[in-house]
Amino acid sequence: MKNNPMASIASFQFPPTYSFPPFFTPQPNATTRLSQLQKWSALIQSWCRHHRIHRLSLIDAVESPLFHNAPLRKRIPLVEARKILDWMAEGEEKGGGGRRAEWIDGGNKTVAWIWWRRPEEWAGILADWIESTGQKNVVLTVYELVEGEETMSKEWHGMDVDVMMKSLNVLVKRGKAQVFGNEGQEGVKFF
Amino acid sequence: MFFKPLDLSTALRPSLLPDETLLFVQDAVGLYEGSKYKIPNYQDGHAYLTSHRVSYVAVEEPRKHSVAIDLKDIDRAEYQAGFLKSSPKITLHPKPPKNSSGSKSVGLSRTQSPLVQTSISHLKPSAPTPVNATWICPICSFSNPIPSNFDPSTATATHIPPCLACGIKPPFTTVLKAAITAAAALSHEGTPIISGGSQFGTGESSSHTNGAPDAGQSLVPCPRCTFVNHPSLHECEICGASLSSALDVLNSSQHRAESPAPFFQQGSIKDTEISDNIKLSFRGGGEKIFYERLKGALVQRKWLLYNAPPVPQQPSPNTFPTLTSTTNGSVSTQTRAPAPGIAGLEQRGLEARRNNEVVIGTAFEDLEALMASAKHIVTLAETLARESGMGEEPSLETSVVLSESAAALGMVTTKDMLSSGSENLYLSELSRNLAEYLTDNQKGLLQNEGGIISLIDLWAIFNRSRNGVELVSPADFQRAAELWGSLRLPVRLRRFKSGLLVVQRNDWSDEKTIQQLQDWLLELQQNPPADPEPLSWDWRLFGRAITAQEAAQRFKWSVGVAAEELEMAEDRGILCREEGIEGLRFWGNYITTTPDDLDSGLTRLVI
Repeated sequence: MKNNPMASIASFQFPPTYSFPPFFTPQPNATTRLSQLQKWSALIQSWCRHHRIHRLSLIDAVESPLFHNAPLRKRIPLVEARKILDWMAEGEEKGGGGRRAEWIDGGNKTVAWIWWRRPEEWAGILADWIESTGQKNVVLTVYELVEGEETMSKEWHGMDVDVMMKSLNVLVKRGKAQVFGNEGQEGVKFF
Repeated sequence: MFFKPLDLSTALRPSLLPDETLLFVQDAVGLYEGSKYKIPNYQDGHAYLTSHRVSYVAVEEPRKHSVAIDLKDIDRAEYQAGFLKSSPKITLHPKPPKNSSGSKSVGLSRTQSPLVQTSISHLKPSAPTPVNATWICPICSFSNPIPSNFDPSTATATHIPPCLACGIKPPFTTVLKAAITAAAALSHEGTPIISGGSQFGTGESSSHTNGAPDAGQSLVPCPRCTFVNHPSLHECEICGASLSSALDVLNSSQHRAESPAPFFQQGSIKDTEISDNIKLSFRGGGEKIFYERLKGALVQRKWLLYNAPPVPQQPSPNTFPTLTSTTNGSVSTQTRAPAPGIAGLEQRGLEARRNNEVVIGTAFEDLEALMASAKHIVTLAETLARESGMGEEPSLETSVVLSESAAALGMVTTKDMLSSGSENLYLSELSRNLAEYLTDNQKGLLQNEGGIISLIDLWAIFNRSRNGVELVSPADFQRAAELWGSLRLPVRLRRFKSGLLVVQRNDWSDEKTIQQLQDWLLELQQNPPADPEPLSWDWRLFGRAITAQEAAQRFKWSVGVAAEELEMAEDRGILCREEGIEGLRFWGNYITTTPDDLDSGLTRLVI
């Protein structure tokens, strides 16, 4: 979270549903509830993407404009926010939101990864980038990948190192990369 | 006497004339024409006895097969107890026609009936003819002689002696049949007597003369000793008992199987003139009370009231002198100086008794006066009811409905109108009653309540309209309401998800309610809000929220009903809810269905 989220709030365009008061009340009708969860999932993902957030702390988020619509005087309480993230964390086959969220602190459910791109998707993007820039068999440091000048224009620039490691591990499992080095000084070699 | 067409109410009950009151209802009633012919299509229905008419409403196709007979055309009614397989019946005798058309109609009916043989149709025993006949006591089977002064045409009035062996008074029909059999036997010997005025018993005589002389008919078992006799015999060869009742049973059972309908065509019998008597067959019981009340109604002649001039405003003066004199008398006795001792106590007791006597006497006089001025009292009650309605807050529409419905008090079915065993009939009548009460256009109860009313509210209003008498218990009420569906009445009972029971018109559906709600929401979306405070959302996009209170006000529902209806719409995905500090509010569902201009923006943001 290198960027200051507060600075870019003004530029984030909330969807119109955000200013629809019933959007902040859990709906008892199953069909309506599903639509509501889908829209919340989409809103959280686009908001996190806009602010380059991967790790969302719920305690902070319920006070942020994401869950608190000040002009409407409506907010999503912590309990309800957890339910939304729970739904996002479920696979689509289980009627959930397609694992777009993942709890980091397990049972506490206060911090979660928001996968506006899942690690598998990041892995694909990284592999494409390596291929297109001809950096196969070149050793790069992880710091270089995340903070280097070459990746300045890329979406993963400034990405959480943990997310980067998760994505690289996906490539390792596919046999397309090798990670070596010590904690905090990892290097990666793409094949 | 005519079978008149009958107007039915929405609940398929006879609609009453002004001043007409319902006296009794009995189900499982069949109509007989003449003495024994069943009228097809009129064999299973409700018999309604009102102060003016006897009405028959069929269970199947009630609008087609319903007729009424005016009480004013009925000369008298006769009760006939059930015997073996024959149900108890009440015979209605028409008044003899005033002009000569009576004989014509008799002739007409005779030609219309192929089964009644003209040669024997009017053979009748005349009153003074000495009849050497016996009747068999149905209790002890002793054969009694028929008294010589027995006259079938006036037999209801004359005294029938009890059985000589057991002392039980015989059913009238038993004696009558025996007498007729004897008379027929006489006529067979060559002394035919042409019948006089009364047509009673023509069917009986024809059946017996039909059955008795025909050789080759089946043998007749004696009812007493079961010896099988030759059909031409009238008395048993062995024990000497009369065979008439056995013959009668044979005949009647044969006729019952065929159920011929000689007088009427298969279609409607409305507007048909009937010169013969009409029988109501009570297969489900209730005949005794029906008969008692019918007799009462025939005596009271309430139909005369309809055309009667209103009773003068001042009560008739002859009631006053008696009143004043009696009060004077009682006062004078009380002011007498009390005597001491036991004599004084006795005297006081005597005075008290005398006083009671006077009070009771005046009370009954008052009662007679009340009956005489019945019409006046009814109009007075109506004006009182109207005034009491005016006195209350006029905005309470229910109270107006209540007071106006006091006039309809005569329409309600009470438990004592029905015999004790017929719980189902009571419920179905109550059910019809309720349906009428609800759909009555004059009161417009259902319309005023926005087409929907909760069962509890209805129960309260209905019971209040009964002015505290003959109240309906909640259990009966609910069971009656549940019968609406099976009785095909124009209202229905509906259960909301929460268990709330409401009453609605039959043709009203959830879709119509939803349509109403959607129209309203659209209206809110098109018209700018009156609230000067700027709204924090785009009302053109989302409209405004509605609460149960607002819905109740708009559609004239009760708040409970409105909440249920809104939740029903939410359940169908038409509305969605907003819970806030203002309470529960409902919106058009823009979570599932997004407006077009909103959709594009959202998808752009997600991708």
